[in-house]
Amino acid sequence: MTQTADTTSPAVSFTGVVKSFGAVRAVDGAHLAVPRGETVALLGRNGAGKSTAIGLLLGLDVPDAGTVRVFGGPPARAVTDGRVGAMLQDGRPIRRVTVRELVTFVASTFPRPLPVAEALELAGLTAHANRRVDKLSGGQTQRVRFAVALAGRPELLVLDEPTAALDVEARRAFWGSMRAYAERGNTVLFSTHYLEEADQHAGRIVVIDHGRIVADGTGERIKSSAGGHLVSFDLPDDAEAEPRAADLGRLPGVVSVESAGTRGGRARLRTDDSDATVMALARLGAIRRLEVVPATLEDAFLALTRPRTPTGPRTEPRNEPRSRTWSRSWSRAKETV
Amino acid sequence: MPALLEYVTLEVRRTLRDPGFVLFGTGMPVLMYLLLTNVGGGGGAQGGKEWEVASMVGMAAYGALGAAVGTGTGIAEDKSLGWLRQLRITPMDPRQVVLGRALAGSVTVLPALLAVLTAGGLVNGVRLAPWQWAALVLLLGAGALPFTLLGIGNGYRLSAQSAGVVSVGCLTVMAVIGGLWFPVELFPGWLRALAVYTPANRFADLGWSLTRGTAPGVTTVLVLLGWLLVFGSYAVVSYRTSARTT
Repeated sequence: MTQTADTTSPAVSFTGVVKSFGAVRAVDGAHLAVPRGETVALLGRNGAGKSTAIGLLLGLDVPDAGTVRVFGGPPARAVTDGRVGAMLQDGRPIRRVTVRELVTFVASTFPRPLPVAEALELAGLTAHANRRVDKLSGGQTQRVRFAVALAGRPELLVLDEPTAALDVEARRAFWGSMRAYAERGNTVLFSTHYLEEADQHAGRIVVIDHGRIVADGTGERIKSSAGGHLVSFDLPDDAEAEPRAADLGRLPGVVSVESAGTRGGRARLRTDDSDATVMALARLGAIRRLEVVPATLEDAFLALTRPRTPTGPRTEPRNEPRSRTWSRSWSRAKETV
Repeated sequence: MPALLEYVTLEVRRTLRDPGFVLFGTGMPVLMYLLLTNVGGGGGAQGGKEWEVASMVGMAAYGALGAAVGTGTGIAEDKSLGWLRQLRITPMDPRQVVLGRALAGSVTVLPALLAVLTAGGLVNGVRLAPWQWAALVLLLGAGALPFTLLGIGNGYRLSAQSAGVVSVGCLTVMAVIGGLWFPVELFPGWLRALAVYTPANRFADLGWSLTRGTAPGVTTVLVLLGWLLVFGSYAVVSYRTSARTT
């Protein structure tokens, strides 16, 4: 019933997985294989389908179509065998138990748990072990959920938006612990909408948007897949001279037009041959405050996950409107990471 | 320690550390017992020692019933906190979770039970043989299981708010019709005939027969087993429905 059964199949595999809630396709034909020992970030905006994918992976939900496998078997079996530990996004602390009591109980349900003191240490909770979990701050509660996920010494650690309530210091400590745990040969899959976190802490980034996997690879690979450079310039005030977005899109090297059309505004062109694009723009006389910058992961992400429609599908209920959510959290991430 | 035992310990701790549970859960039945047996000349409905003993058993049963049905409120809360989901991703078999809750329920009925029996012995001077006291605690503790299952059914089926209201509703209706507050002899004939088949009445009858020095009747045990089956099925069905949706 343990690892002896098979040691070769991937830690996680999704094959053509579809999961709908009502009319919304939360996960829409996902294919994914995560080899053992890898650290993977599932990156997407709120509502992209990350939590649904994690629910399927843990056997909390059953896919409408396709197969989910964890260590080669059904997710429920991996859970029963104690090979999976998870930090769920919506978990709130239960009342009237201490941190140590809670972690001790969770550890006792696993066949080969970590010593409770070690789980508390890794989660940075040693000093709070005897406090009631419902009396802790948001960041400390988050660490309790991390300790609960670690307690069973799982081979696969799944973390749904693990740093959402953490401050800078706590974030750094958290990622340190996660790395330490991953370096013991464990597989880690975490979801985030902080792009920088994904780039810094995962060897591989899986970008999910509207339930689909839109990119999969290292941060570098994702950057280059979305177009190498970004060329921007001021549009002329004169309506006659203004190039139309469609014309800009036909210029040499241009992959996509990010924004154009507001008179006196700024046009942004994604290009895979910046020299050719700039030459063409020069011929058009459209070179005011011209700027050429290499595409960042942020650019790549925005290009990959542009909202489809204003009333596009929303899979995870959120208070924030979806179109601005990501960029707001991006600026927050830049401040804090 | 095995997971099930750890789980029962965890749940018992959580319940007994709830000041509301301890104060109201034990205070209410004790207070009602003392009022019903001492106000109005201490005679009560039937008068004398006999009523003091019968009411002691009735109120102890009422206290145990309240704690048992109250399990549901805790479960409904756990559901809203996401704790039941977290439990589902531990290796513990979900059936063990339900079993653990039922076992924890059998422990958390004890404070109310013991408090009323103590009030009976110390305040009202009820005298019983030591084996009778011991058997009272054991039988009423174990006999509360159907009600814990009813609570578990409510907890998995209902939201935290409705579970609270429904628990109190179940408790009050069962206690009144079951004759835990007032003897069924005061009821009209048709209600009396009905009352003796209700779960709370047969539950308390376990204790009443003990205080008369006899073993519980066969009908009593059969009726209780029937209710155990009914509430047990309710718990299982509610649990299954909930597992599909949470």
